[in-house]
Amino acid sequence: MDDVKDKVIAILNDLTGEDFSDNLDENLYDSALLDSMGTVQLLLELQDELGISAPVSEFDRNEWDTPAKIIAKVEEMKQ
Amino acid sequence: MSLKKRLLMIFGPIFAAAALMLVVFLSPLWSGLNYVNPTVQRNAASSLSPQVLKGQLIKQRALENHYVPFFGSSEWSRFDPFHPSVLADKYQRSYRPFLIGARGSQSLTNFFVMQSINHQLKGKKAVFFISPQWYTPMGEDPNAFSFYYSPLQTTTWIEAETGTKMDRYAAYRLLQMPSGNSDKIISATLARIAAGLKPTSFQYFYVGVRHRILLNEDQIYSRYRIPFNNAQTIDKNMKQLPSHYNYQQLNQLAGKIGKQQTTSNNFGISNRFWNRRLKRHVNQLKDFQAGQSYVKSPEYGDFELVLSQFAKDHTNVLFIIPPVNKKWQQYTGLSQTMLKQFDQKIRYQLQSQGFNHIADLSKDGDVPYFMTDTIHPGWRGWLKIDRAVDPFLTKQVNPPHYHIDNRFYSKNWEQYYD
Amino acid sequence: MRWYIPYGNPTYFIWLALAIVPLMIGLLYGRRFRGYQTIISLFFLILTFGGPNWRTGIALIGYLAYQVILVAVYSKYRQRKASPNKGWPFVLAVILAIVPLVIVKVTPAIESGRQSIIGFLGISYITFKVVQTIMETRDGIIKEFHPVLFGQFLLFFPTISSGPIDRYRRFLADYDSVPKRADYLNLIQTGVRYVFTGFVYKFILAYIFGTVLMPGIEQRAILAHGFSWNIVAYMYVYSLDLFFDFAGYSLFAVGISYLMGIKTPMNFNQPFKSKNIKDFWNRWHMTLSFWFRDYIFMRLVFFFMKHKVFKSRVTTANVCYVINMLIMGFWHGETWFYITYGLFHGCALVINDTWLRYKKKHQDVIPHNRFTEWFAIFLTFNVVCFSFLIFSGFLNTLFFGPSKF
Repeated sequence: MDDVKDKVIAILNDLTGEDFSDNLDENLYDSALLDSMGTVQLLLELQDELGISAPVSEFDRNEWDTPAKIIAKVEEMKQ
Repeated sequence: MSLKKRLLMIFGPIFAAAALMLVVFLSPLWSGLNYVNPTVQRNAASSLSPQVLKGQLIKQRALENHYVPFFGSSEWSRFDPFHPSVLADKYQRSYRPFLIGARGSQSLTNFFVMQSINHQLKGKKAVFFISPQWYTPMGEDPNAFSFYYSPLQTTTWIEAETGTKMDRYAAYRLLQMPSGNSDKIISATLARIAAGLKPTSFQYFYVGVRHRILLNEDQIYSRYRIPFNNAQTIDKNMKQLPSHYNYQQLNQLAGKIGKQQTTSNNFGISNRFWNRRLKRHVNQLKDFQAGQSYVKSPEYGDFELVLSQFAKDHTNVLFIIPPVNKKWQQYTGLSQTMLKQFDQKIRYQLQSQGFNHIADLSKDGDVPYFMTDTIHPGWRGWLKIDRAVDPFLTKQVNPPHYHIDNRFYSKNWEQYYD
Repeated sequence: MRWYIPYGNPTYFIWLALAIVPLMIGLLYGRRFRGYQTIISLFFLILTFGGPNWRTGIALIGYLAYQVILVAVYSKYRQRKASPNKGWPFVLAVILAIVPLVIVKVTPAIESGRQSIIGFLGISYITFKVVQTIMETRDGIIKEFHPVLFGQFLLFFPTISSGPIDRYRRFLADYDSVPKRADYLNLIQTGVRYVFTGFVYKFILAYIFGTVLMPGIEQRAILAHGFSWNIVAYMYVYSLDLFFDFAGYSLFAVGISYLMGIKTPMNFNQPFKSKNIKDFWNRWHMTLSFWFRDYIFMRLVFFFMKHKVFKSRVTTANVCYVINMLIMGFWHGETWFYITYGLFHGCALVINDTWLRYKKKHQDVIPHNRFTEWFAIFLTFNVVCFSFLIFSGFLNTLFFGPSKF
């Protein structure tokens, strides 16, 4: 479980240069930390690191806009 | 909050706005808002804009002032120093022309324009410019008619109609135009009038409501945004005239200006018109009017509408029949015999019904600098027209005795050919 | 018979009000009258595509049949058990889906302005919906295909002529359900407000800019032969007319959708307040730019990154920006000014990103205060207006006129 969380936070840290460990509900799009480029990178990293393949279509901004939501989504897809 | 209350909060303002709008547009109070300032009257009198043609208020106020309606079509837009509006202004005549009509407006349009000013025409004088070119086999172009069509004038006329031959014929003609069918209830009303029946009480009610709304729109909006460029053109042209009226001197000046402005061609056509409209096509236009006839046309019936309305209003009218530029006529193969037949036919229609004030210039097509282009008078042409218009409008003239003959509405007369 | 441009005149709105009242009563009492909705949809489609326009009506029917069959076949392929989901059937399906649009867009360019007979009002917007459905079918997100629901989605009449471009899954979720009364009342309230704001935008503001001011300025600019300040005036007036006309129309479309209990996405969000070009595209014609973002830009980026075509992330983004906007330019039409417009915005996005990166790196020396924000808005507004001047085709009339368009 925590494995997923750590990895996602590491990926996000890589992409945005920010640490979200204590800030899981920050909106990544409103704060302009993530854009479409970053989003694609995130999807690719998730694929490489965690082996889940989320197609671009799956990606609904409202469901993926905070670290907490991303972690939840990834866990759901891993099962 | 209950459902009802919530819906009321959402839709209440809309219904209130709609009710307010109805009150505003149906209120008879607007008719008190009558004042039109003299500058607006002056601008409108020469604007030739469809907006003025279709409206009512400005024309009514102007004609109650010292303006006289000059009915016609595209000739009014040929401004030069001898244009009737320029001469009247320069020499401080007791009248000023209110120019009615623009390109494509023919008898039927003029008939409906008259509906908005019948009261102002009663027992007064008017000038009517007849164009031979109206009298084509097709008559008034439905598109041109639509362009100048005024629902307000139509409802005004329906409210006043009494089922005479004139009214029935007008309804019949209107139904042949797309404009007459643009409103389904109005077109059903027209069908009844054309058939000699009275409109139903519902139709009267509907026409009444429409009329009130259109009237208020006219009262509220019509005096704004009147184009003033023609009024400026008149001012500019006035400066070219000597300060005192002297016919010989003016005639000479007309010849001089005409000569200066027709240097580009041998037809005596103004350079501006020649360069913009004819130069490029002149070769294709050789003999293009051979076979053209102005003798058989539904326009004769429409013209009878105008005459009947003048008779009904006891308006004393001066009719002007212009010539065609002789050189152009010969080049394009327009038949001289046919033009003569047209002249005879239209004069017969006028004179046999008591319309005896006619300035017939049909033989002046070869006077130098008489025409400004192919069919419209300019310089000397305007001056000669002024020689008829000025005395007619400024001196005492016997009251007319008209006797309308409904035969002129018949197909027989439209197609009559001697 | 007369015909009606959607939301073009008061009569159309009166018909609209009468037609949707029963639907609204149903929704207030927890029912969605889908049969009735289909009937009024047909009625409004006939108002627009019938009468003198019947030829475009036939084109619409033909187009619809073609696309439904196309998507049905592709769905069938994808829904087989253990579907191989190969690349080529997908590419083929997308190509076939846009072929009619390409024909319609290319015909005027090669036939000196003549319109293709298979065209109809709104074809490009329907095409977006089709392509997007195919893409999501490929991704396996859309798992079932209902030809009738798909037809309802494509022909949803409030948005048929110029969007906003909805998404199939989102539309279906609304269409399949009935909103709670409290939610629906909020929708009605917002919808009514949108429609009336639309009146102000389209029939007052767009009228002032487009009908009252524009013709005079246009004429003076043409008469001036060559550069004059009238061109600058034209640029602003045209831009404002474009915005108020289109935003007004979009407000009608969204407002009416709301009244029908469908939450069609919004198309504009105060675009002239944008602080940069990227911000602008998040606020201007949003459903179109989001469509391009989701179905072209992100997929291009995904493809390039996955296959490591470019070494740097920056290059990838820049190339994708330009391709993305260029396609948008081609979508508008095959004229030099539409394509230049696309290229212009592609380059503007590249410059924008470069500047933002530079600014981030030198945060300590580059000031950021209220003044710089105002300046950014001012600059963005002018850059956007200039792009609309290109888009308007007016420079074409001016430099290469008389224009055939």
